[in-house]
Amino acid sequence: MTSLSVALLVPWVAGAVLVPLDGRRRWVAWLAVAALAGTLAALVVLTVRVVASGPQQLVTGGWPAGIGIVLRADALGVTFALVSVVVLIAATANEAILGPRARTFPALLVLLAAGLTGLFLTGDVFNFYVFFEIAMTASYALTAYGGEARQLRAALVFAGVNLLGSFIFLMSVAGLYHVTGALAMADVADRMSAVGANAGLLIAVGFFVAFSVKLGLFPFHYWLPTVYAGSRPAVAAVLSGAVANIGGYGLLRFGAGVFSDQLRLASTALVVLGATSIIYGGVLAASRGDTAEMLAYSAIGQVGYVLVALGVGGAVGLAAAVLYSVVNALNKALLFLAAGLRGRLLAGAFVLGALSVAGVPPALGYIGKLELFRTAVVAGSAALVVLLLAGSALSLVYMFQTYQRNFWRDDGSGKTSSPVANRLVVAALALLVLAVGLWPEPLLALSQHAVEALSGRQG
Amino acid sequence: MILAFALAVAVLFGSGAYLLLQRDLLRVVGGIALISQAAAVTLIAASLTRGQAPIAPDPSRPVSDPVPQALVLTALVIGLATLALLLALVHRVVVVFRTTRREALTAEETERAHALEPEQQRDRDEAT
Amino acid sequence: MLREVARLVWGPSLVVAADLIVKGYNEVGDGFAAGVVVVLATALTYVALGASGAERALPFLRHAPKLAVGGLLLALVAGFFPLLLGEPPFSHRPGPGAHVATVGSLELFTPVLFDVGVFLLVVGVLTVMLHHLADPDSEAGTPLDEPHDAGERA
Repeated sequence: MTSLSVALLVPWVAGAVLVPLDGRRRWVAWLAVAALAGTLAALVVLTVRVVASGPQQLVTGGWPAGIGIVLRADALGVTFALVSVVVLIAATANEAILGPRARTFPALLVLLAAGLTGLFLTGDVFNFYVFFEIAMTASYALTAYGGEARQLRAALVFAGVNLLGSFIFLMSVAGLYHVTGALAMADVADRMSAVGANAGLLIAVGFFVAFSVKLGLFPFHYWLPTVYAGSRPAVAAVLSGAVANIGGYGLLRFGAGVFSDQLRLASTALVVLGATSIIYGGVLAASRGDTAEMLAYSAIGQVGYVLVALGVGGAVGLAAAVLYSVVNALNKALLFLAAGLRGRLLAGAFVLGALSVAGVPPALGYIGKLELFRTAVVAGSAALVVLLLAGSALSLVYMFQTYQRNFWRDDGSGKTSSPVANRLVVAALALLVLAVGLWPEPLLALSQHAVEALSGRQG
Repeated sequence: MILAFALAVAVLFGSGAYLLLQRDLLRVVGGIALISQAAAVTLIAASLTRGQAPIAPDPSRPVSDPVPQALVLTALVIGLATLALLLALVHRVVVVFRTTRREALTAEETERAHALEPEQQRDRDEAT
Repeated sequence: MLREVARLVWGPSLVVAADLIVKGYNEVGDGFAAGVVVVLATALTYVALGASGAERALPFLRHAPKLAVGGLLLALVAGFFPLLLGEPPFSHRPGPGAHVATVGSLELFTPVLFDVGVFLLVVGVLTVMLHHLADPDSEAGTPLDEPHDAGERA
């Protein structure tokens, strides 16, 4: 119980303390990194406890579960929380070395961490909505970091589109409460089976739309290139590696946990949508000249894989979806950060990220793709296997196109290399991708636990 | 009664959607505000109950449900916060561009696209 | 005329806010509503007197950021202090069913601290917003190196 509360409390207190400080000073930015590291430590302790003794739960105020707000840490939530905080640490450290340009930047990142941990570690639908909004508000403000025209445009587009998504989410939550009379996720999941098919499907579609907008799945992807390409590299890394996780987690938690009947009903539609995302993202990424835009379209393609895995469903499919969400978050964070810097070591980091996206060993993406192939085989669909192969081939094409354009040619313009510390941060992230790729057992086990927690009354 | 609420939500949402498509950024923000208010009214309408207050109620008569009221209050607070943030963003746009027209944000890229036009036309002419 | 109204309305708004916090446990009202009422009066003062005039008339407005952070920390402490006692967060002391000291109709228990914290947070945050909208160049905020070229050409 304590590690759960501490994991939630640390970013809040740190955020409150950081807000009045001037974030442009290096020590304030490093204080933010320290706070995030503290959160990560609490989350690691929590993970160990969850893996050892099952989901940790506490209800605020000591009230019974239906009356108080349920805070619940199970393998699914903890996995996503860990990945998001790791990405946030990498991005904050990156900017701390360069020197933040805005006084609110470190505080915003820590408050974003507060919103994200709250979201991943809650078992109450409306509490999820509240932390969802907290995280999104922090990210709207973060998108404008840098203050140039592109960032302002990215921030306004991001805020506008996601506010509409939040509106749909709120309506769906209201519908869910109206239909089931409960807000705790466990109670809602139990009562969903008694709900009429039409109402249930409508609410499920509402949730799906809200989370697809967050992830950038086709056909809700129109905002993504403007925002990811327009914001600064560290912010783009945060958006694609931490904030997009909200969409993945939401689809898994609500889709497979609460709306499991509706998910089975819609599995073909989900697979088709995911496939469209993969092809659309891949083809358009290959046609882009600007690295950031290429990465944005690549992001659209990659989240299509998560949707395909979710659509196929079953224990294998869901585990693959969890695993691929984690893989994608780490890849995108690494690639966005590497694309924003220059110098030695960065080419290697970018290559590793590219190999990971394409699914080539020994990078982590290979494990992700392997699990997806297993899902396709289990589903017995040759079309899916072909789709996965085509997607991987496309990823290889656009990634190496960009690598060639950016890193291979010696353009001789003599641009200065980025500071060594920055390159080391990116290299550390690349090493993480490599290490987990070489030793995937913990991540695989965590995904299995996550799926059991979902379907399960594992305890 | 429900019809009145549904009409109100429809009017709010319709006006909000119309404003979202305007050229002036302040009107766009106003449209977003109206849409979030439409969501709040829908929440209220979806969970209207009549009864006693839920503190020490008489068990024989119906009790009104306090949860949706808490939900709406929270939604309103969140709406306030996001509206404040949007206004701050628009304020920054005004400070930087000295105009609230939506096109100001894409002005630079449109100019660059226009500048490339003659070259692209030349490429097309060469090919034909 | 506006200045007179602004000056006269501010004191009563504090009283209304206090009333909202106190009665919020049995009837409609809570820290957030109280905060918004005070901010409405403050907004009127900003409009009537301008940013510097408002801060001369009500000197504590200069400290609005500290109010906001103090309020947030107070709310966090009120919410999470039960952890030190081994109870889940947001448990109130005295617990349900125990005897509570009362001042009139207000029960003195920890959620009052939480509401006061929320009140201070709302007042602080919205006052900072008002200040920034009223007087955008006065404090550093998010610095921009120079106005964008398009702005000068337009």
